[in-house]
Amino acid sequence: MTLIATIDEGACSAHGDCVSVAPGAFALEETAVVIGTATDEELIAAAEACPALAITLTDADTGAVAFP
Amino acid sequence: MRRRGRAACGVVIVGGGLAAQRCAETLRRRGYEAPVRIVCAEAEAPYDRPPLSKDVAAGAADSAAVRFQDAGWYADNGVELLLDRTATGLDATARRLELGDGGSLGYDELVIATGAAPRALPVLAGYENAFPLRTLGDARRLRAELCPGSHLAIVGAGFIGQEVAATARGRGVEVTLIEALELPLAGILGAEVGRWIVNLHRDEGVRVLTGARLESARGNGRVEELRLDGGVTLGCDAVVVGIGVAPAASWVADSGLDPAGIAIDASGRTKVSHVYAAGDVSRPFDPRLGEHVRTEHWDAASRQGVAVATAILGGEPRPVALPSFWSDQYGIRVQYVGHAAGADETWVSGDPDDRDFHVLYRRGGRPVAALTIDRPRKLAALRQLIESDGAGNAAAADRHESPTKEMIR
Repeated sequence: MTLIATIDEGACSAHGDCVSVAPGAFALEETAVVIGTATDEELIAAAEACPALAITLTDADTGAVAFP
Repeated sequence: MRRRGRAACGVVIVGGGLAAQRCAETLRRRGYEAPVRIVCAEAEAPYDRPPLSKDVAAGAADSAAVRFQDAGWYADNGVELLLDRTATGLDATARRLELGDGGSLGYDELVIATGAAPRALPVLAGYENAFPLRTLGDARRLRAELCPGSHLAIVGAGFIGQEVAATARGRGVEVTLIEALELPLAGILGAEVGRWIVNLHRDEGVRVLTGARLESARGNGRVEELRLDGGVTLGCDAVVVGIGVAPAASWVADSGLDPAGIAIDASGRTKVSHVYAAGDVSRPFDPRLGEHVRTEHWDAASRQGVAVATAILGGEPRPVALPSFWSDQYGIRVQYVGHAAGADETWVSGDPDDRDFHVLYRRGGRPVAALTIDRPRKLAALRQLIESDGAGNAAAADRHESPTKEMIR
């Protein structure tokens, strides 16, 4: 499974947890933004760490939502 | 002695809010295999509370829209929902949770996430049109009362009271906001912000009465008139009470845990073995303040639910975050981060009259908290400024964009 992360900018409160968990995939600009990729495991850990539940992970092959 | 059969008791989560849901989801996502049970006092499956004062009260969202997951998720993930059940006691030695129906549940790990209950006003007891706003049931009652042209009185101008005022105005309801303090939230956010809040609501057509205390109520089954100290009376069709909450934890009193807020560490551990707490019922340790502090913030409940699941699975906790919250009203997003208590300087940047500004709170020259009004994209920089520790912060604050900064106290 390859996961793709998207960030709900309206929900993002710029906590920055995603950046510290998966710095290759996320960066903090005015909100958190997706800048690259990471392993599925890292992406799940980042999504889980987001207190605002602003990260959605979808399966690149099927489009199914894997998180939340 | 540990009996072999005990391992199958798994995790029992008491409470059905955000912390409970995030804990259950995290346990299952990370492969926890033993039973997970959620004991919830409400008859509703776990749901999200922030929309209650807004979309649900306005009639723009129903209960299905606020549920964290649909019924299928619980079945698919082996999370058993025990709804309409209250916890009444805890036998930590036997690792059993006692329930109000006379039954009990054994656990390997217990998560107390019973949240908080609204404080009530004795003078409004028994009136069917006077209620708090905490549950889906409360939001439905409010929705039924928000008839255009009717008059809603709100006691307490905290964020719940403010959001209810905004929703009610949006429904064409006449609103009186009654606040005991001279300026709402001034103790936390400062007098200037307190004044701004009063003006915001007045500009939106709310009658705001500050320094006003409710003395008595009159009516037959339904409140029809409120009397404030000083003799002012006002007629009303319904009353919402938003004067704060207290941890819903009286049932733990005999277990050695503090019913006024259960102290937890960064992993959500309490001082009782195999018992964790998360969310509004807890009193987390704040390393920046060096003490346990209750916050009642959604973000904190979200983090703590995950932290407890992580600890149960043997993982390390993430660093404790700064407190933060948000409020949506009149289309404005209010956001806050940090510890403003004890701030000795308040810097305002932007135009309060245009509802577009932020406030930086400093203590001893050091930024300790920030409030943004409809500036969500300022939050990241402000948060970093506050998190960056001590030295050099005066210079950092000066670099921080603040075109109209002025010291206002």
